[in-house]
Amino acid sequence: MLEIKNLKASINSRDIIKGLDITIKPGELHAIMGPNGSGKSTLANVLSGKNGYHISGVIQYKGKNLIEIPVDERAQKGIFLAFQYPTEIPGVNTNNFLKTSLNKVRKSKGEKELDTLTFLKIVKEKSAELGIDEKILSRQLNVGFSGGEKKKNEILQMKILDPSFMILDETDSGLDIDALKTIANGVNSSRDKKKSFLVITHYQRLLNYIKPDFVHVLSDGKIVKSGGMELAVELEKTGYKKIK
Amino acid sequence: MINNFKVNSNEIDKFKKISKQEKEFRIKNLNLFNKNGFPNNKSEDWKFSDLRDIVSKNFKKLDVQIINSKSKNTTLIKNFDHNFLVLINGNLSSSNFDFEEKNKIKIKNFYNDNFSDINKYNPLIHLNHALSDTGYSLEIADNYKFKKTLVIYNIFTKELNENILNSRNKIQIGKNSELHTIDLVVNESKNKFMNNVYENVILKENAIYKNICIQNEKSDGFFHKFSKNTLSSKSKYSSFIFPSGLKFNKLDLEFNLEGEGSECNLQAASLLNKNDHQEIKTRINHLVPNCKSYQIVKNVLNTESKGVYQGKIFVKDIAQKTDAYQLSKALLLNDNSEFNSKPELEIYADDVKCSHGSTSGSIDETSIYYLMSRGLNREESVRLLVSGFLNEIIEMIKSNSIKKFVQKKIEEQIHGN
Repeated sequence: MLEIKNLKASINSRDIIKGLDITIKPGELHAIMGPNGSGKSTLANVLSGKNGYHISGVIQYKGKNLIEIPVDERAQKGIFLAFQYPTEIPGVNTNNFLKTSLNKVRKSKGEKELDTLTFLKIVKEKSAELGIDEKILSRQLNVGFSGGEKKKNEILQMKILDPSFMILDETDSGLDIDALKTIANGVNSSRDKKKSFLVITHYQRLLNYIKPDFVHVLSDGKIVKSGGMELAVELEKTGYKKIK
Repeated sequence: MINNFKVNSNEIDKFKKISKQEKEFRIKNLNLFNKNGFPNNKSEDWKFSDLRDIVSKNFKKLDVQIINSKSKNTTLIKNFDHNFLVLINGNLSSSNFDFEEKNKIKIKNFYNDNFSDINKYNPLIHLNHALSDTGYSLEIADNYKFKKTLVIYNIFTKELNENILNSRNKIQIGKNSELHTIDLVVNESKNKFMNNVYENVILKENAIYKNICIQNEKSDGFFHKFSKNTLSSKSKYSSFIFPSGLKFNKLDLEFNLEGEGSECNLQAASLLNKNDHQEIKTRINHLVPNCKSYQIVKNVLNTESKGVYQGKIFVKDIAQKTDAYQLSKALLLNDNSEFNSKPELEIYADDVKCSHGSTSGSIDETSIYYLMSRGLNREESVRLLVSGFLNEIIEMIKSNSIKKFVQKKIEEQIHGN
């Protein structure tokens, strides 16, 4: 699914990712943990295609190098980033935006565009499945949403767009236990043999619910240790200092 | 004909059967206009819109003759029931009040019975007072609430070519009465022309007037409108304006809050494209205590467009407990666009609440990134942000059918239809 080789990223001549290798196979869920400032969010941004970084190395996704491909095309190819801080966009109705977005993704796959009624049916289904109040979708995009609502909205968008590679950037930060379960539910119900995840988190808490196949520790722009769930448990006890 | 920005005095002689008083009024205004001609940027009120320069660059001549166009079949809005007036090149050509009690409504062709009002500051008003003989006068009796909206179709025809139209309109709403109007500009003209309107709106005690003005068809029109609005006690005026697509447009709006407890709201949203020049100038005069005014003006500026907002709030010494608010927001899509904002507060009372704000900025790249990460390309993302920016104003319209109608018009414009 995704193969990253010797990835380096810098912004304003500051090196952030300094030679990162990771391979994610279809059906796998990888967790990335690491101290503040280790490059976790930069990795998420670079994978999604955000402008402004100077990048070298290879990001091979379904056999194609992504480096030169712009953000929107990556999204259309099935890459989804759940934002750490979803942007508030005043005046834009969430449903209208999401319908445009879904139709763009469908069109690029050669699928028929959906009319409003069919779209709303899907929204209803997916929000019921996640236990999310679909009313948030008739509001302006993320405007006045609580922290929890914003994160839930990201997961609902993820469910509706049905991508094949999902990046969650600290989606669990700042959530109460019920919201955390909603997020975990969203991830677990999306898991299948063809889909993969990269979950960035600070806490073992989320991983208890979503059971990663691999856990990596990112420090100073490099993966310094990889393992299974036991690594997350160890980190929770000892912190990052010993691993460095 | 206007040559070298001067109107020949024999133009006045063309008005037959006018009273001596009216003739003197016209001559007086003509002389005032001729003294300085079209205003240039040396005048404070025209600082950002040098009309003299604009006129001289765009017009070889300006014909003041009335264009007598025959009434054509007007395509009426089908989205909602409404009464209507049809103005062809400013001239009242037909009216229909089938939804109303007709004895409560007086509609007349151009009519002027006020020959004392000499505005010292605006040469375009002088020009209008000297030459206007088209327009309408609408009077609503006391205690009558309109059942349906009144749509005023402002049609500009193909015959226009280097003409200047001067029209004068009056709307008077009686005590406890209510009127909702939509001013819709329909442009059929292909050539350059000027349209100079003087509007006088009078709200008696407790009257309510809601107006939505939609001008979003691309046109080679150069528009100026001065609107004088007088509010008696407890009357309320709400105006939504969606102007854009004109080569030049200046809206000079004056609100006189003369009765206690009166209130005016002005909401404007514009998308300006290449070579559009638009100015909204307001003056809100708080003349008595306990009045409210609210203004929000939003502009989106595309390549090589220019937008101006000059908003003044004046509070007289006796106008205590005034509550006045003013906000201008501009979104510049390109480095070549220009927006000028000049908020002014002139306050002589000491117990008032007055606030103003003005922001202008470029498109937010974080928002673009967010939208693109969901599969929209850059152009679609920008369009969505622009529509969201303007939508905040449209969302304030209470009637759903009218809101949808306006939304559709604005969306068409955003998509360049």
